[in-house]
Amino acid sequence: MDFDYLKQKRVLLVDDEQELLDMVQSILAEDGFLNIATAKTMDEALTISKTYRPELAILDIMLPDGDGFELMEQLKRTADYPVLFLTARGEDDDKFRGFGLGADDYMVKPFLPKELLFRVNAILRRSYKGENPIAKLAGSEIDFDRAQVIKSGEPIPLTAKEHDILAALYRNAGRIVTIDALCEAAWGDNPFGYENSLMAHIRRIREKIEANPSRPVSLITVKGLGYKLLVKGR
Amino acid sequence: MKSVPRLVRRFVGILLLSFLLLAALNITLLVIYTTSQMPNAYPWKTAKEVADDLSQNEDGYQLSEKMARELEASNAWAIFIENDTMQVVWQTDGLPETIPTSYSISDVASLTRGYIDDYPTFTGEAKNGLVVLGYPKDSFWKHMWPSWDYQLIANLPKTALSVLIINVTLIFLIYMIANSKLLKSVKPIVDGIQALPAEQSVHIPEKGILCELAASLNKTSEILQFQNRQLCKKENARANWIAGVSHDIRTPLSMVMGYASQLMEDTRLNDAQRKKAAVIVKQSERMRNLINDLNLASKLEYNMQPIHPQTINMVSIVRQVAVDFINLDIEGSHPIEWETSETLTSCLVHADKDLIKRAVGNLIQNCITHNEQGCTIHVGVTKKGDNCTVSVVDDGVGATDEQIERLNKSPHYMACDENTSEQRHGLGLLIVRQIAAAHGGTVTIGHGMHGGFSVKFTLHARDGAG
Repeated sequence: MDFDYLKQKRVLLVDDEQELLDMVQSILAEDGFLNIATAKTMDEALTISKTYRPELAILDIMLPDGDGFELMEQLKRTADYPVLFLTARGEDDDKFRGFGLGADDYMVKPFLPKELLFRVNAILRRSYKGENPIAKLAGSEIDFDRAQVIKSGEPIPLTAKEHDILAALYRNAGRIVTIDALCEAAWGDNPFGYENSLMAHIRRIREKIEANPSRPVSLITVKGLGYKLLVKGR
Repeated sequence: MKSVPRLVRRFVGILLLSFLLLAALNITLLVIYTTSQMPNAYPWKTAKEVADDLSQNEDGYQLSEKMARELEASNAWAIFIENDTMQVVWQTDGLPETIPTSYSISDVASLTRGYIDDYPTFTGEAKNGLVVLGYPKDSFWKHMWPSWDYQLIANLPKTALSVLIINVTLIFLIYMIANSKLLKSVKPIVDGIQALPAEQSVHIPEKGILCELAASLNKTSEILQFQNRQLCKKENARANWIAGVSHDIRTPLSMVMGYASQLMEDTRLNDAQRKKAAVIVKQSERMRNLINDLNLASKLEYNMQPIHPQTINMVSIVRQVAVDFINLDIEGSHPIEWETSETLTSCLVHADKDLIKRAVGNLIQNCITHNEQGCTIHVGVTKKGDNCTVSVVDDGVGATDEQIERLNKSPHYMACDENTSEQRHGLGLLIVRQIAAAHGGTVTIGHGMHGGFSVKFTLHARDGAG
């Protein structure tokens, strides 16, 4: 498994409902996560985090002895790791507050297990990409750390823009990433009028990663919408 | 505040009009009265007639019978003073005893102008002397000094005008002083009445001549404010109730959805069992959408949803929503076709990004919900003139003309105050409408060119790259 190293991450689940904890735990476990700790209160979460040293926290906002925002601030004081809110509070203000305090994602209940897994994996890939930055494709491998592609044993360097575009695609591996999102990843905010440049970059990336660039199998075009990166094992 | 000046102007107008009418009336009456009094000169005429009538014969002077009777009728007496002797040489019968019988020149001057022993006297010139006519003491008043300063007469028009102006000013001042108190108490009442439709709170001091009116106004304002507060409270309570209920449903529904989803993919179960689990997942998804919709719809309905407009690129927003649906549609039963011209890379609108995403998402979700057997959804953005239109069209079951008419015309049950027995449709389209309305846009529902359902969501485009 290409993403095994991510499944080793220690996950802390905090929710006041035991049944929900059980369910999320089983969802994560079924996806291959090996280290999962649960807590039902803020106190419990803080106590566990001291010894358990989580690498990802999934927090509810409404807890019997405080709120998730407060808990996140306290957890992040000891170590900086990603936090995902999983809550019944769907108000925009709550979301803004969560993101404003540094949350990595915010999910409103009820949710589909698949969506939770996707988001958890995306957060982990984003947060811990430096640890195993090799993405295995059909015809090559991408080493994000060195910004190079290894095709037929030969390293081919990536430019900064190519690296950014590939990273954005890799974070969402297997899913369509819109043209706009890719332009934003490469050129920053307000990315108007870069569509043609993006196409040129995509062409060059294909030359580097595809065995046959004119018939791409890893970097797929979805006409008018965007691109999709297919990664082995996903 | 125009009412009070208008009131003053009107009063002044009425005042001036009354003044002019009064002046005209008085002048007319004066003219009529004085004309009727013109014969005031008659004693002088009578005196002249007596002088002419008096005739001299051997016995002395004699008055005609007729003239004598006339004098008697008016209780008058007459004497004749001869020029040469300055003596009374003739007199009527019944001459008062106090009347002297001889006169000096100064006596004559005095009696001509005025009186003899308080008897008003009038003179008429005869051939050899002067006829003096005397009337009873209280019959006439004589002007003794019939002369005026020349300047006074010369300046008479100016003087009259000044007097008129002074009079008008004085009357106006009297009016203003008398009315300023009234106006002072009218002004806050007028202000108050004008503030009522603006739903402002009104507190007028309850004093002065119109204190009762002020009190009524204050009371009315209080009632209005109270009713407004009650209404607001009710609306808030309703929206909060919906928010609370939808919040409380989320956690239990998470578990239904989560476990059903796991069962759906559990390979140890047989197909029939997995299908049942899939139905639970699908239905709980519907419930989730309904909760989200209900909450947003009630907030939009009661204007409790904050709207944060910014300049956004409609093409990129709609593309993101379409891609999110494609990424979620794992079975591929509802493929999305992107039908936007390649030359249209940006269509800028001023709108709340999240709400627009929600509206477009609802439209796509609508196609999926109503076509469980699957359908192709065509999503596109077009720009025509000042309009940016998002169209979501499917090739699914569609709707009848009647249904489309009803969707376009009749209010949704959430926004309708009548009990309706009609079949209720979901909140998805209502929210799209509410979001369009909040942005000054429109929603048109119709038949799709692929045989299914079509919704066009149009907003005003901003100038910019197209």
